[in-house]
Amino acid sequence: MLYAGRIFAFGMLIALALIMIGCMEMAKKKLPTFRKLAGLDALPEMVGRAAEMNRPVHFTTGLGELTGTVAPQLVAGLAVLGYLTELAAKYGVKIVYSVYQPQVMPIATELMREAYIRAGKAEAFDQEDQIRFLSSEQFAYAAAVQGYAERERPAANVMIGPFYAESQLFAETFFRVGSIQLAGTARGYQIPFFAVVCDYLLIAEEIYAAGAYLSKDPVQGGSIQGQDIGKIIAWVMMFVGVLLTAAGSPALMDLLKM
Amino acid sequence: MSLFVRRQLPIAIVSITAILVMADYFFRIAATGPIVRDLQNWGIILSAFALGFGAVNLFIVHTRHISKQTSNQWPYSIWLLFMVALFAGVGVFIGPTSTQYMWIYNASYFALSATLYSSTGFYIASGCYRALRARNVQSVILLVVGGIALLRNAPMLAAGYPILIDIDGWVNSVPTTSAQRGIMIGAALGAIALGVRTMIGRETGFLGRRTEAER
Repeated sequence: MLYAGRIFAFGMLIALALIMIGCMEMAKKKLPTFRKLAGLDALPEMVGRAAEMNRPVHFTTGLGELTGTVAPQLVAGLAVLGYLTELAAKYGVKIVYSVYQPQVMPIATELMREAYIRAGKAEAFDQEDQIRFLSSEQFAYAAAVQGYAERERPAANVMIGPFYAESQLFAETFFRVGSIQLAGTARGYQIPFFAVVCDYLLIAEEIYAAGAYLSKDPVQGGSIQGQDIGKIIAWVMMFVGVLLTAAGSPALMDLLKM
Repeated sequence: MSLFVRRQLPIAIVSITAILVMADYFFRIAATGPIVRDLQNWGIILSAFALGFGAVNLFIVHTRHISKQTSNQWPYSIWLLFMVALFAGVGVFIGPTSTQYMWIYNASYFALSATLYSSTGFYIASGCYRALRARNVQSVILLVVGGIALLRNAPMLAAGYPILIDIDGWVNSVPTTSAQRGIMIGAALGAIALGVRTMIGRETGFLGRRTEAER
């Protein structure tokens, strides 16, 4: 019934899902404590700075698309977009979302419109001006974002999603125009580029936790606790695996290949 | 819009689709294969429609710039719309694989794309200058390791001091790989947690934030 080679992965997925759901149920009774994510806590400060400087806030999700392996990173970015748009609407700051994949536009439009309605400023939302489709070609999109940064000099720049070679181009350009920056990606090769230039950084799993962290919803927070239990399981498996392999036993390797 | 249309229906669609795709990946079930293939085709068709939506947005934004004569922008907007019309015209009437289309593509976008990609070298150098400054213990470690990697990649020095190759190899294969794998495991668990939240309807970031009443 199950494909050979995917049995262990399926078992682990089910186990982790059950642990996370269990933690979410427990969180209804007692809210777990989180370590602070400085980047997400700084979002009000970033929008406030934009309000003081009378300049816009720029947001992008990089080369995110809804149908590939990077889709979860895009969804994580959209969760931050909703929160950031609501903040910008409250402060009366213009927020511009640079889009790479047009399939994201209808979702982003609804998300941002709803955020403006929630802030009580529905009439201030200008869809065509604030959600800009640039290009589905990587460097055309990169050049357009850089051009936007140079022309409109946003006070803050938030980049959350999958980024590739354009990460350094964006980070340096926005740094040069004086934007305060928050960047987050789960692509390991781009994290160092963001780390050296941006003011705040979300590393890998932190972007997936962003939606739960910003929502202040205890049930969503419980899943992050479940994620941490998953890390402990991974750590134990690595430790046992090292010991078994050193002792010449392929037991764990065989289990993983099931 | 009712709560059912705005929240519950999209969540139900996402959950059912995710369960079907996962079942097709893990289980040998003949019935799920064609359904998942159909879903993937729907995705491609929707993406094609969305491209039209993007093109309309592009025209609206740039015609607005031209009509308002936005400073530092409107001449570029004219050029952009001209190029869009040129690519579309040649692509539709002569063909997207024709010599003419390929010539325009290679002479404009391809050349510019390669130029922009090359420029990342300068941006990386600028980033390196900022990162490799001894301000605290961590940055000193980064400076020393970065210096070794830099010297190892200079062929003359690496030939004269082969120990640089060994140190660089160890740094790459032990601490760097360990850290990368730690990040990958964390990211995978984060993605699973996001997936679980999405499937059970708790993660609604992509549908807009929940109100207190909706929680």
